[in-house]
Amino acid sequence: MLHAIKAYLSSNVTPGEAGDYLWATIYILLVVIGISLAVLAMNWLERKILAHMQIRLGPMRVGPHGLLQPVADAVKLLTKEDIIPDGADKLVFWSAPVVVTMTAFTTFLVVPFGRTHAVTDMNIGVLFMLGISSLGVLGIIMAGWSSNSHYPLLGSLRSSAQMVSYEIAMGFAIVSAVLMTSLQTGTGTLSMIGIVEAQNAQQTWFIFKYFPLGFLAFAIFAIAMVAETNRAPFDLPEAESELVAGFHTEYSGFRWSLFFLAEYGAMLAVSSIAVTLWLGGWLRPFPNWLSGALWDLAFSLVPALSFFVLAGLSLLGVVRMPKIPQFRAQTAGLLMFGLLLGFIGLTLLVPAVRVRVQDIFWFVAKVAFFMYLYIWYRGTFPRYRFDQLMKVGWKVLLPLGLGVVIVTAVVGVRQELWGVLAGVSR
Amino acid sequence: MSLSPVLRKVFLVDLVKGLKVTFNYQKPSEAVTEQYPLERPVIYERYRGQPRLNVNPDTGESLCIVCNLCALACPEQLIVVKGERNPVTRRKEPVSWTYDLSRCMFCGLCAEACSTDALELTQDYEMALYSREGMVLDQAALEHGHEPVRYAK
Repeated sequence: MLHAIKAYLSSNVTPGEAGDYLWATIYILLVVIGISLAVLAMNWLERKILAHMQIRLGPMRVGPHGLLQPVADAVKLLTKEDIIPDGADKLVFWSAPVVVTMTAFTTFLVVPFGRTHAVTDMNIGVLFMLGISSLGVLGIIMAGWSSNSHYPLLGSLRSSAQMVSYEIAMGFAIVSAVLMTSLQTGTGTLSMIGIVEAQNAQQTWFIFKYFPLGFLAFAIFAIAMVAETNRAPFDLPEAESELVAGFHTEYSGFRWSLFFLAEYGAMLAVSSIAVTLWLGGWLRPFPNWLSGALWDLAFSLVPALSFFVLAGLSLLGVVRMPKIPQFRAQTAGLLMFGLLLGFIGLTLLVPAVRVRVQDIFWFVAKVAFFMYLYIWYRGTFPRYRFDQLMKVGWKVLLPLGLGVVIVTAVVGVRQELWGVLAGVSR
Repeated sequence: MSLSPVLRKVFLVDLVKGLKVTFNYQKPSEAVTEQYPLERPVIYERYRGQPRLNVNPDTGESLCIVCNLCALACPEQLIVVKGERNPVTRRKEPVSWTYDLSRCMFCGLCAEACSTDALELTQDYEMALYSREGMVLDQAALEHGHEPVRYAK
C-alpha cells in the first residue's frame, strides 16, 4: 500500500497513462465526489450571488448565512415522493436522468486538473469530451418524450434544436484552438494535456494568440457553451414562463435532483474545456515571463493565501453575527467553517502538498470564474426568443466560427504561403 | 456613447453595460431584505393593530368607565361591555369585556369614540392564531396587551 502511494507520488504521468488501475479508480471517485461537492457549492453560491444582484440576502436561516441550505435541499429532494406519470414510458422515463448524469460525469475522465491530475490522457481528449457531452441531449429528448406530456416534449424539442445548432459553432471554435496547437511547434494534438502543454511551449494562452483570432474563437465558445448547457439567457428548453420547467416538468425527487446534478456537471465540463483550450488549463499566470524559483514560490503560496482570505471572511462573519442566544449555534458553526478553511490553508503551505496541489488550484480558480459568469449572465440577461436564438446560432456564430477557422489556418501557415506566392510570382 | 448601432452590436456594448449594473448591485450591506423575526419593521404610529385596554399606570385600575360608546360606534358590533357601579368609589367599572378580533376590520371608530382613551389600537401586528377561539379577547387579554412572539431556533 505504502509502496503504491510512493510509486504514485513520484510518477509524472496520469494514472491512465501509467496503467495504474487502482489510482485511476481512486481518481474517478475523487472526481465524482469533487463534482458533487462543487455542485452543492454552486447551488449555494448561485442563490447567494443572484440574491445579491437583486439586492436580496438569499438563504440566511439554514446554517450561518445559509451555508447548509444545499444540504437541506438535498435531503428534501431525496425524501420527496418520486412520481412517475401514469402514461409515461417507464423504462425510458427511468433511464433518461441516468443517461444525462452519466454523460455529464463521464466527460471528466479526460479533464486535466494538473499535469498528473487527470484520470487519463486520451489522445483524442477534446473529441471525446465533445462527443460524450453531446450525448446529453439524448437523455433530454428521452426525458421529454417519455414524460407523455406537452411541456416536456416541447422543451426537449427546443433543446435538441438548440444543441444541434450551437454545437457546430462550438466545434469550429474548438477546431481553431486545435489548429493553434499545431502551429509553430508543428505537432497538433487533441489531447487535453497536450493542448495545455502546447500553450506552455508557445508561451501564450490561446485566447491571446493571433489577437483577435484566439479571442474570437473563445468568445464564440463562451456564447455557445451557455446555449449548450441550457442556461440563461438561452434557457428556452426550461423557460419557466412558457414551459413550466421544460423537459423535467414531470420529474420529482431524486430523479429531478439527477437532472440538476447533470446540468451543473455539464456546466463544469464545458467550462473546463474552455479553460483547457484557451485559458491555459492548470498553468499559473505567466509561467514563462515570471519564471524563476522566487516567482514559483510566490505563486505556489497563492492557494494557501486565498484559503486564508476565505477563512478571514468567515471569521469576520463570526464577529458580525447577532449576539443573541438563538444565533449561538450558527456562530459556532461559522467559526468551525472558518477554522476548517484556515486549516486547509495551513495544509496548503506544506511544501510537498503545495507543489502538487497548485495545478489543481489554478484550474479550479479558472473554472470558478466561468461559473461566476454563468450566474452573472443569469442575473443580468433576459431570455432570448427562439427565433433570435436560432439567428444568433446560425447567422452570427456559425459564419464567424467558419471565418475564424479559415483565418487561423491561413495565418498559421503564412510563412509557407508567402514562400509559395513568391515562387509563383517568380 | 456615440458609437454607431452596428459597433454597439458587434462589441456587445449593451450587454456589458447590463453586466456592469448587476455587478455593482452586489453589496450584501445594501440588501433591502428584512430578516423578519430578528429585525422588525418600524411601524407607523397611525397603524391600527391589536386593540388594548389601557389601565391607570399608578393604581392599576381600568380606565374604562363602561360608557358603551365604543360598542355603539362599532360597525360590526363586536364589542360587548358589561359593568357595574363600584359602591365605594361611585365609579362604573367593567365586569366583562369581549372584543371579537375575528370580525374586526380595524376601522378604529371604537378608539375614536372612547371618552377616556381607554381603548386603543396599538401597533402590534402579530395576531395570527391557529383557531378562532383565541380571537375573542376578554378584559385580561385586552389589558395585558399582545406579547410579540420571540422565535427560538
